[in-house]
Amino acid sequence: MKKVILAVALLLVAGTLVAAEERIIAGFIYVGPIGDLGWTFAHNAAREKVDEEFDWLDTLYVEDVAEGEVGPVIDLLVDMGCNVIFTTSFGFMEETIEAAARHPDVIFGHCSGFMRAPNSMTYMADFYQVYYLTGLMAGALTQTDKIGYVAAFPIPEVKRHINAFTIGVREVNPDAEVHVRWIYSWYDPAAAKEATEALIAEGCDVFMFTEDSPTVVKVAAEHGFPSFSHYSPMLEFAPDYVVSGKLVHWDVIYRDFLVKVREGIYTTTNLEHVDYWWTLPQGAVELGADFGMPINPVWEDELKAYVIEHPVFGDINVYDLVFIRLSQIAVPGITFDPFQGPIYDRRGNLVVPEGMWLSYESLITMEWAADGVVGPWPGEPEG
Amino acid sequence: MNWESWVISTLNRALAHGTPLLWGTLGEIYAERAGVVNLGVEGMMILGAASAFAAAQFTGNPWLGILTGGVVGGMAALVHALFTVTLRANQYVSGLALTIFGLGLSGLLGARWVGVPLDNPLPKLTVPGLAQIPVLGPALFQRQSYLTYIGIFLAVVLWLVLYKSRWGISIRSVGESPATADALGVNVFLVRYLCVAFGGVLAGVAGGFLSVEYRPAWTEGMTAGMGWVVIALTIFAAWNPLRAVGGVLLFSGLYHLAFRLQGWFPPEFLKLMPYAFAILVLAIAGLRGARQLAPGALGIPYTRGEK
Repeated sequence: MKKVILAVALLLVAGTLVAAEERIIAGFIYVGPIGDLGWTFAHNAAREKVDEEFDWLDTLYVEDVAEGEVGPVIDLLVDMGCNVIFTTSFGFMEETIEAAARHPDVIFGHCSGFMRAPNSMTYMADFYQVYYLTGLMAGALTQTDKIGYVAAFPIPEVKRHINAFTIGVREVNPDAEVHVRWIYSWYDPAAAKEATEALIAEGCDVFMFTEDSPTVVKVAAEHGFPSFSHYSPMLEFAPDYVVSGKLVHWDVIYRDFLVKVREGIYTTTNLEHVDYWWTLPQGAVELGADFGMPINPVWEDELKAYVIEHPVFGDINVYDLVFIRLSQIAVPGITFDPFQGPIYDRRGNLVVPEGMWLSYESLITMEWAADGVVGPWPGEPEG
Repeated sequence: MNWESWVISTLNRALAHGTPLLWGTLGEIYAERAGVVNLGVEGMMILGAASAFAAAQFTGNPWLGILTGGVVGGMAALVHALFTVTLRANQYVSGLALTIFGLGLSGLLGARWVGVPLDNPLPKLTVPGLAQIPVLGPALFQRQSYLTYIGIFLAVVLWLVLYKSRWGISIRSVGESPATADALGVNVFLVRYLCVAFGGVLAGVAGGFLSVEYRPAWTEGMTAGMGWVVIALTIFAAWNPLRAVGGVLLFSGLYHLAFRLQGWFPPEFLKLMPYAFAILVLAIAGLRGARQLAPGALGIPYTRGEK
């Protein structure tokens, strides 16, 4: 069923007789179609960007590769001359490591996983800080104190994001609840639509989601409710209702890595401990309804009118709070983290002690549900 | 939570989510009644969705979009008819190929529409007067699509045609026993071509509904398996257009309820519920002899002079 589109034309290196080893041919393997306006779309946009930027770089891609079928695709790309290969789905992890052993002369990058090899690094642009910031806004905007969250799969990555979001919500509105519905798919517009309608029927009036299409934004706007962009700018789909959002810049990571490969800093023998876990400070993600628009001006007044008594900043409106927190998070040497203790899960257990931040390991293995999350939570720790 | 909210949201969403399934199922019923299985529903739907979006955006008229979706769906179905009726290829293989082809081609041609909002989506309809009825008003007559009502009306018409008209007799006899129909002077090939093409038109409209009304937006692979649900619903409905209405509403009502009930039941179970229910009903129907309900010559290419 998979469709293989190879940008073979790019291999027609026009008349250059530059020694082959000086060129980098990077192959990208995607789990979804490049037209999803979500995860794969963003990776492919980044590929096009770096391909255009560097004349020493050619790129190829294969889309719609099923998890479990990636090994042969990697071999094919190696046969076609790729010396760097990126695999962009968590489910490609084991096969990428196996392929790295099979092709010791090729450099690999696996996105969103945790297994590495001397010639295989890992990378991820993570959103949890941005989820927290959008949570601050959602908490201020809800009238019913019920915020709807349409979620993909109950895995640590999504749970981390829901928790960060909920912590933001609760910081400005301790009464608000985040109602979660799972659709068990990264991309299923019909399921996302019906889940949103179900949440609306239950009284939710602000919407957040983890699904790779602008469906939730459209449905919420149809009912007159605000929501946030996810992954790609979705402002155009509802100019009056997209408050802010989470945007990704995969090109920042690809550029940095490929340049370092080109300069010989990264080789086929020293990637065992190379892990890009890039967030706001590195510019891999952005807070915004659209690029360059952190908060939609339509919502500025309402957010400024919502003033809270903040334990750290005193009387402050949420609009200012968002930018203060952003400035604390978005610079190198950050002074704030959403998961800053004390944090209790919804069963009352202390999960982050007073004054502590969570380690990277705790972030990527998170299973607990933050206080304020309402709804099913498969895999929730007992106790 | 009051009971009205549950009734209203379930019925309202069952109609909306069920609309593309109903159009698709009605089309597949006609194709299969004439003896041709078309597993290409997913492909025809997605081609309809892509072309409907493009046409609606280009002309600014969503109805022209829907029409285009139907025409493109019908053309895709004609390819299936050519292979299975004229060339007598295996219907299952040809249908699968059509699905794969449709998903690929629509992705390729639709690439420029990804991330583009539709300027003029199909308007929603609130029926004056009827919408004021308590509970049933908001459930059935508020924020619905024209295509929902047309679809239900079409189901009635298609039932009448199938069971109460000469055309219906021809179609059913071609599906039951093409040799007999042929002997009686029915043009088997023509009937099969028309029914398959008609099924494609309806699948194309279903896709157009998704991209021009339900979403309204285009993204690659956006039918996300609805075409396969249509195949199951066709059997579920026992190839009967009126039963299709019931089957679709049941399926889509459960689909919506699965999300509302997540607060009380494990979501993994609920996600399966509509599908499990469909299988269960199929199994019960099978035990009670549903196989006899299937058109006798379903899936078998017809060759003149062979029994």
